[in-house]
Amino acid sequence: MTMEPEIVVSLNGVSKTFRDFWLRPTVVAVDALSLGVRRGEVFGLLGPNGSGKSTTIKMILGLLSPSAGEVRLFGLGPRSVAARRRLGYLPELSYLHPFLTAAETLRYYAGLCSLPRREASRRTRELLAMVGLEEVANRPVGGFSKGMARRVALASALVGRPELLVLDEPTSGLDPISTKEVKTLVKALARGGMTVLTTSHMLADAEDICDRVMILNHGKSVAEGRVAELGTSLEEFFLAKVGDVQDFALAPFLKG
Amino acid sequence: MKPYVSITLATALEVASSPLSLLVMLAAMALEVFAPVFHYHQFGDPTRMARDAALSALFTCGAVFAVFGAIRAVRREIETGTQEMALAHAVARGGFFLAKAAGVAVAFAVFAAAVSGTAVTMFTGAAIGGAIAEQTAQLARVYGPCVAAGVAAIVLPLVLAAALNRFFRFRFVLTAFFIAAGVSVAGGAVSAALSGGDCLRLVPAVVLVACPALVLLSAAAAFAVRFRANAAAALCGVVLAAMLPAMDVYYRAESLSRGGSIPLGDVALAFAAALPAVAGFLIFGIHFSLNRE
Repeated sequence: MTMEPEIVVSLNGVSKTFRDFWLRPTVVAVDALSLGVRRGEVFGLLGPNGSGKSTTIKMILGLLSPSAGEVRLFGLGPRSVAARRRLGYLPELSYLHPFLTAAETLRYYAGLCSLPRREASRRTRELLAMVGLEEVANRPVGGFSKGMARRVALASALVGRPELLVLDEPTSGLDPISTKEVKTLVKALARGGMTVLTTSHMLADAEDICDRVMILNHGKSVAEGRVAELGTSLEEFFLAKVGDVQDFALAPFLKG
Repeated sequence: MKPYVSITLATALEVASSPLSLLVMLAAMALEVFAPVFHYHQFGDPTRMARDAALSALFTCGAVFAVFGAIRAVRREIETGTQEMALAHAVARGGFFLAKAAGVAVAFAVFAAAVSGTAVTMFTGAAIGGAIAEQTAQLARVYGPCVAAGVAAIVLPLVLAAALNRFFRFRFVLTAFFIAAGVSVAGGAVSAALSGGDCLRLVPAVVLVACPALVLLSAAAAFAVRFRANAAAALCGVVLAAMLPAMDVYYRAESLSRGGSIPLGDVALAFAAALPAVAGFLIFGIHFSLNRE
């Protein structure tokens, strides 16, 4: 008898409605979404811009409160400090302090993960080597290119050796070589047992790295399953499911 | 505790790295150096002029430093998204806000130390110079070296920081900020030693005048969580206006720099007046942080 893998992230009927100053609903970003991410898998949230991927991620991280439903992270509430101690997060845009150098940035995030000073220095060197930024370790990140900043942000997400890595559009703004490097890295981390939750509007990313995916459109789940189960090509499946939607930003791009 | 210490130190570094912080600190020092000279030519009483210039510089420039430092530190985190990165770690929202406010307070303490150092130097220079001037009636000769030293304390850090930036890639603003503070504090220590410690009576006066700046700092940090920078600054103006009728509490500092024993009761009164306001604004800030999306 095989044991079911632990559910690391679970969403149960989660909705998020943004409201204006007078509390009138303006946008339903996520609508009755349920999902479960199992330990050790790479789970992809796919969908066009504005489909609710980043809002879902922010609710999982406790940065936004759901209007309805329940989010659990390692069985705890998403605002629980104990739960967030076990995750690493790469946001869609590489938010970094421009006045800190690359090494200082990693040491800062090592501090947020409560790593001891010696361990923080060792981990900083290790990660800068891993993302190929040893040469510029002492330069302020404010002067970095988008790709370099992305690599620093990715290293920051990994500094605390998280059990769950949450990646919001990890290849956003990267050139093809850097994109391939990031995908290789994510696959290596997953092989090492790390659970990865990633979002993307690039289907090729999901096909390459995800075990299971959920396709979102207008805040709702359109389909969910293993990449292999969703048809011969995820792209064809994607178009078949949501390609008829006129305002779907990705469809013309895929067809064209 | 370690995450909050990291946030505090990074915030202090952030405030010290801001060109505005360096500019305000150097402006305060320049005000302390030059204001007593012009005043003395008209009114006399050099030590009083030096002291008043120092306290005025600390209050006006300190308020600007505290308000804009706090608003920039808190608001930038929210607007650029670095707050999201931090809050995705094992960091409580309220703790994050308090650590940010503490970081600004640390940078403000360095600013206040620099202003105090220059104040002590100018106070000592004024006392020595005043005594000599009374005997010789040659004011310019007495004040010349003192002002030259003050100008050097302002210009030297900029030159040194530029050299360190050119040859060793040190960050110019950050380096200049800490060298200026270091030079000023060292100058104050030398002056205190020369004067036998009399001028150190000015230090508690400086601490006293720093109290309203701390109230403004906590108010600015709290407002910046909820409102945009311009609105937060405007609300700080309202807080300042509300504090003005009670400013005599802080300006009891004058009694500290007179002779005799230091009236610690006045210091305690100033702290008692400032603490509830600081605590109140920090509680508001935590509340805003917890409810912010």
